[in-house]
Amino acid sequence: MKLLETGNHLIALAANVAGVEVVPAYPITPQTQIIEMVADLIARGDMDAEYIPVESEHSACAALVSASLTGARAFSATSAHGLAYMHEMLHYSAGIRVPVVMANVNRALGPGWNIWCDHQDSISQRDTGWLQVYVASHQEAVDTVIQAYRITEDHSVLLPLMLNLDAFVLSHTYMDADMPSREEVSKYLPPYRPLWKLDPKKPVTHGSVVYPVDFSETRESMQIGQDNARRVAARAAEEFREMFGRWHGAMVDGYLLDDAEFLIVAMGSLAAESRVAVDALRSEGKAAGLLRVRFFRPFPIDELRELCAGRQGLMVIDRDFSYGMEGALFTEVKGALYGYADPPAANLIVGIGGRDVTYELIADHAKRAMAGELAEVTWGDSHVTRAHEITREVLREFEDLMD
Amino acid sequence: MFEIRVHGLGGQGAVTLCTWIAQAGYAVDSHVQAFPFFGAERRGAPVKAFVRVDEQPIDLRSQVYRPDLLVVMSPDLTGLALQEGITPEGRLLVNCGGELAARFAERFSRDIHYIDGTGIALELGLEFDGMPMVNLPLFGAVVAQADVATLEAVLEIVDEVAGRRGNREAYEKAVQAGWDGVEVARAPAEPSAKPAASETDYDLSRTGVTPIEP
Repeated sequence: MKLLETGNHLIALAANVAGVEVVPAYPITPQTQIIEMVADLIARGDMDAEYIPVESEHSACAALVSASLTGARAFSATSAHGLAYMHEMLHYSAGIRVPVVMANVNRALGPGWNIWCDHQDSISQRDTGWLQVYVASHQEAVDTVIQAYRITEDHSVLLPLMLNLDAFVLSHTYMDADMPSREEVSKYLPPYRPLWKLDPKKPVTHGSVVYPVDFSETRESMQIGQDNARRVAARAAEEFREMFGRWHGAMVDGYLLDDAEFLIVAMGSLAAESRVAVDALRSEGKAAGLLRVRFFRPFPIDELRELCAGRQGLMVIDRDFSYGMEGALFTEVKGALYGYADPPAANLIVGIGGRDVTYELIADHAKRAMAGELAEVTWGDSHVTRAHEITREVLREFEDLMD
Repeated sequence: MFEIRVHGLGGQGAVTLCTWIAQAGYAVDSHVQAFPFFGAERRGAPVKAFVRVDEQPIDLRSQVYRPDLLVVMSPDLTGLALQEGITPEGRLLVNCGGELAARFAERFSRDIHYIDGTGIALELGLEFDGMPMVNLPLFGAVVAQADVATLEAVLEIVDEVAGRRGNREAYEKAVQAGWDGVEVARAPAEPSAKPAASETDYDLSRTGVTPIEP
């Protein structure tokens, strides 16, 4: 069924057609519309699920884990500080191997307080063991919720998945999308079949002390699950295309890659805007292409090695920053390519805290990168002056102004 | 692709207007996108909202800087709205009467499309929380000017909203009046000198976005 809805509402509706059975949640802007819609669907009798209002995001994630361990298909949503507050339970949920799905509406972390989009929240959870997908459109958000359970619940994966969508740009914007019916989805996504589940009739202890003699194996098995997710995600995307006729890429998505001499590498809605930048560059006769990183975890190592080899240059766009280093995606891309492909690469930091990013800005920086004129790391839309430096001298000037 | 930017004041229904425009485009099978700039939600504060309508799926995610149609719901915002950009051949539609439109045409040296949406709403007794529902006549006016949907599509959307509020006839009249009622104040043949700032201009310094110089 075709719908005109916000990204948030589409996520909630997609969770319903995906047969989600338990939703523990705590509200936070800009995610709240998702769980409001879920609560509404349940209250109207349109969704057969248990809604658990909890007192914090830490508890939301704890309830998410518990629900999944009883054999239910569980879903939640959060943003920014909510995700940060879950941090301990994110490690827990991956460590205990629950196939849950959570939408994270990408929002900046304060202070200064900011409800708008950047990727700092989810990038900061990189090493928790969660699979991470970044979507670029409303339709991809819908389709990825459905694909996500196929991936997480595969017995060779059994790791939680974080579906990241950009605050406001996707979460609150109305766009048209196709919503498959519950019946159609059930042919693609069968009910969750847990390997085992918590059962009072057969009590077991799960997730207790593991001595050094066993611990490394539990952790290496998480990495095996991540590696298996590459194959499982590719198959899930492929079968989705066969059944529903839509394709958003598997680990990565590409645009005009075949003859591209220069690649823009990006995630999320900036990658959609970058498609328009690629069109603009092509109209000026510049052979640009787009490589959209869809899965950030597991990271598309093989795809990047294959697709970046032989190019004349890369510009990696980050909507996040690893302080003291560079944009996180830039680090990952270079790490994947080390020893395999060696095109000159530059890092563009833009769109932090919801600053609007136009295709013109992306195309202008890409042209500078092609000409070898873009610094290794460039804050493309920031205008720091001496007044932003926290020095005794500047503070004194400020105090003088106040007097 | 057809791009629209709407400037209004908090409470005038700019965001709802953009959602309706998108619904109208969607009803005639176009791909659509509607979103506001989300800031502090305050009554009377300047609000911006955007619509894109296209036959192709829309990849742009940025705000609209060069709209084909620039809509000003409160005439005080006309200067600000123009400063924020419009395509060279873009159309400016202001919610105001003929006299003010003629003055704007002279000051800004451009054609001003206008409709007295406030007058239409007040005449039909359409108020919401004490504010005239200018977004109803403007909905008709914008869709007609943008040519992104049919009058039937517009009326269907409004009927659904009106049905919830039990005031269908007045809603339909307001939209129809907007659809039919846009007039044009022509730019003077001789462009005037650079227009002087007037008290009706929105004070840009109050937006607090001026970069700090070293």
